[in-house]
Amino acid sequence: MASADKLINTDVPEKDVFAFHFLQSLSNLRKQNPFDTPDQKNYRVRKIKKAAYVSMARAAGGSSRLWSRALLRRADKDDNKIVRFSRRKRKVTWKISSKRRRSNQRAPVVEEAAERLRNLVPGGGGMETSKLMEETAHYIKCLSMQVKVMQCLVDGLSPK
Amino acid sequence: MNGAIGGDLLLNFPDMSVLERQRAHLKYLNPTFDSPLAGFFADSSMITGGEMDSYLSTAGLNLPMMYGETTVEGDSRLSISPETTLGTGNFKKRKFDTETKDCNEKKKKMTMNRDDLVEEGEEEKSKITEQNNGSTKSIKKMKHKAKKEENNFSNDSSKVTKELEKTDYIHVRARRGQATDSHSIAERVRREKISERMKFLQDLVPGCDKITGKAGMLDEIINYVQSLQRQIEFLSMKLAIVNPRPDFDMDDIFAKEVASTPMTVVPSPEMVLSGYSHEMVHSGYSSEMVNSGYLHVNPMQQVNTSSDPLSCFNNGEAPSMWDSHVQNLYGNLGV
Repeated sequence: MASADKLINTDVPEKDVFAFHFLQSLSNLRKQNPFDTPDQKNYRVRKIKKAAYVSMARAAGGSSRLWSRALLRRADKDDNKIVRFSRRKRKVTWKISSKRRRSNQRAPVVEEAAERLRNLVPGGGGMETSKLMEETAHYIKCLSMQVKVMQCLVDGLSPK
Repeated sequence: MNGAIGGDLLLNFPDMSVLERQRAHLKYLNPTFDSPLAGFFADSSMITGGEMDSYLSTAGLNLPMMYGETTVEGDSRLSISPETTLGTGNFKKRKFDTETKDCNEKKKKMTMNRDDLVEEGEEEKSKITEQNNGSTKSIKKMKHKAKKEENNFSNDSSKVTKELEKTDYIHVRARRGQATDSHSIAERVRREKISERMKFLQDLVPGCDKITGKAGMLDEIINYVQSLQRQIEFLSMKLAIVNPRPDFDMDDIFAKEVASTPMTVVPSPEMVLSGYSHEMVHSGYSSEMVNSGYLHVNPMQQVNTSSDPLSCFNNGEAPSMWDSHVQNLYGNLGV
């Protein structure tokens, strides 16, 4: 699924890559909690959702995209793992402060919407608007891929 | 006749670049009257026309007198008379108008010259304003920038396009009637980047064609992202429900199956997972899977004897067992 645009690269891997990563993470889940799965469904749902996002980030190219990097960092932080990309993040935050000050003056209509988008897209806080839109495009593609995979899975598993 | 010759000399040199002509005019206007003529001749000596050389050699001697004559004669084409030249806007306008008439046929050559000039001026990060012929603004600017090579006299249309080069700097020409300070130009570049990306997003998001305007489109995009995220959450809920809690000891089952059935189930996974391509298996994932121990999963026989469990992805007949996930993984190995 290559994009025709030469300037912006939003290539996204095929469906099977997403499927593979998702299934792998799901089976990892089962391995972690094989027998004493909590009764609370919410717990399971949350775990599955998190597995979905993490697998999507991995499938979409790990650390090559800002949003996937931020997503994985967030996930690792929740599990109290060592945060790897901290140095980069610091660089990015440095940029935010200088850019945000100026960007607030620019086209307030666009900037309002960009703020909302930043809250949605992981890692959006550290980007300029134009970069944010690139990331959003890639994110949308990956999200729709993941949705397709999960839909297939659910359809396959649900009893008729 | 002398006057005519003088006029021709001035305006009809095919090989003289526009810039040289401009410089000549400006030298006329600003400094004293005597030196411009010398300067003019100096410039004209740069002309390398085969036909003109001999002509020029004689012209250098004769010109002063010719000019004097032409002013007396009041040749409208020339109009370089000292009385009229000094600092009058009207004269400048007329001069350029006449030149436009003559230069129209030499458009190609001038654009060529312009390209050369542009290339020469490329090292500096400059903001240039290119404006129409005959507008006073351009003339004033040319006065200031007389020395700069980039300033050229073109017959192109008023709209100037942006030139993006592959150097570190992006050279931009300000459009007519717009501010030329660096901030606004950078701002404009940035805005165009954003609108370019918005167009790209418009193709991605379904149903965005009818909406015009940045705000509406951005709202639509935000809604789409939110809806996708909600869909994922909903599907994960469904997945959690559909899969029952594993009640049995999976490890034992796996251990058993390793011994009993090696590879008899190979064909069926292939059948079933046709929806997913097997490329990833060949690409080297298979070794990973082997290492992680998924190989010894083969609970198929226990789970579903009637139909092929792995056909869940194609037909919708699914074993409502969690093991199907692992079966899929096994199927990915399958080949």
